Amino acid sequence: MNMLSSEWLKIRSVRSTGLLLLLSLGAILLGAAIAWMAAGMYDDATPAKRATASIAELEEVVIIVPQLCMGILGVLAITSEYATGVIRTSLTAVPRRWPVLAAKAAVVGAISLLTGSVAIFGTYFLARQVIGDRFSGTYLTPFLDRLPTLAATGLTVCVFALLGLGLGALTRSTAGAVAVLVGLAYVIPMFVGKLPSPWKDWLGSMMISALPRQISGVPFKSSVYGSSLPPAAAVAVLAAYALVPVLAGTWLLRHRDA
Amino acid sequence: MVRCAADPPYPILDDVIRLHHLTKRYGDTLAVDDLSFTVEPGHVTGFLGPNGAGKSTTMRLILGLDTPTSGEALVNGRPYTTLRRPMAQVGALLDAGAVHGGRTAYHHLLCLARTNDIGERRVAEVLDLVGLTGVARRRVGGFSLGMRQRLGIAAALLGDPRVLMFDEPVNGLDPDGVRWIRDLMRSLAAEGRTVLLSSHLMSEMALTADRIVIMGRGKLIAEATIQELTTRYPTLEDAYLALTAGSVQFGAAR
Repeated sequence: MNMLSSEWLKIRSVRSTGLLLLLSLGAILLGAAIAWMAAGMYDDATPAKRATASIAELEEVVIIVPQLCMGILGVLAITSEYATGVIRTSLTAVPRRWPVLAAKAAVVGAISLLTGSVAIFGTYFLARQVIGDRFSGTYLTPFLDRLPTLAATGLTVCVFALLGLGLGALTRSTAGAVAVLVGLAYVIPMFVGKLPSPWKDWLGSMMISALPRQISGVPFKSSVYGSSLPPAAAVAVLAAYALVPVLAGTWLLRHRDA
Repeated sequence: MVRCAADPPYPILDDVIRLHHLTKRYGDTLAVDDLSFTVEPGHVTGFLGPNGAGKSTTMRLILGLDTPTSGEALVNGRPYTTLRRPMAQVGALLDAGAVHGGRTAYHHLLCLARTNDIGERRVAEVLDLVGLTGVARRRVGGFSLGMRQRLGIAAALLGDPRVLMFDEPVNGLDPDGVRWIRDLMRSLAAEGRTVLLSSHLMSEMALTADRIVIMGRGKLIAEATIQELTTRYPTLEDAYLALTAGSVQFGAAR
């Protein structure tokens, strides 16, 4: 409990946290703005064009913002200690070491889960309000049918935060961890989409952003990602993204000279 | 000071830092080489040696930050890493710069205090003790080196420990600060605490320390009282320069 309250205080007593939270929730406004522009364009279009017009689920698009911001929050939670040297004070206070990273994971995980959920549901409800029955009723799907996909997508924000924390613990460098995070999340998927079959589908299914739709069992209509995993396997892959780097980082933290 | 050995293999030694054939190798470099000495309570032990002698590495080994290649460093008869609430037993200032510039002094100390079940009242106490109460709510980024040294000392004192280690706490301090550190070190030792203090300022060390441990190239060069050294040499500085003459790795010929 004391470790949690210490790490909670650490994270809330620096300015970067507030900025990253603000940016994360800015995604809701971004989503609403895109919805408003799309609705305007739809209303100005001819009936023939309207019949074929389609729109992506905006909340699943703008979630990239909280994903990245909370990923950076996770990275900074540990790399800022290495950059300033505070890590040596932290480890001197807690020589068993693993509780430091475990408490960081709990705090960062809770903050990002809450932020991700607010962002995904906030964007969804605003966009649904704005789009209404436009675009062949994309937003007329009942909420309960969308709920599994939305919840799983919100969860990816938490996965990004823990992935960032794990990468930060492994690399001990802000720049290094953010580079790997962006690479894993956005650069590799671009290349995977260009691979020949069956690699494209097999690897594409493993990308973080492909996992929520495989967990909910509602595949994207068109996507660069694959959809070959059953829900349970998709859950396992998502959990692996969150936990494997943190666990590896914990092992290194315990065995490496600080 | 020595109680009966209740639970071997570590005899319980109160308030003592004991190094036993401590060795640390980084790749090809032998940073600490078969180092054995004991730091005892009740006086200030000065820890001297040229740059790169291995003083800071030795302190990191004592605090369990680095793992020894062989040998051991014991605090109160136990390896530091086995201590459960270590801040109540050992306090250390390794690097005054090791603070997050965006955090306030108060929050910096409170984060640390919470990990060892230390209350907010004690945080206020140590802030008062080091004279930072007035700036406690200011971000550390704006602190001078002297203020950071005081903050680092406050952190070391948080758990009211009996064993204290300070790595060059006088660096960057004004004469007031230097005098303050000297008085603080001497009063901590007078309370029966164990104080290990490293510094390059020989005249200051001569005024502060009672005993001296000198290291060079990872090895123990001398372990003596100030009195013993100043009887054999004109000043502590002369003693230091004579004893470390063969161990200076970086410096002009002399």
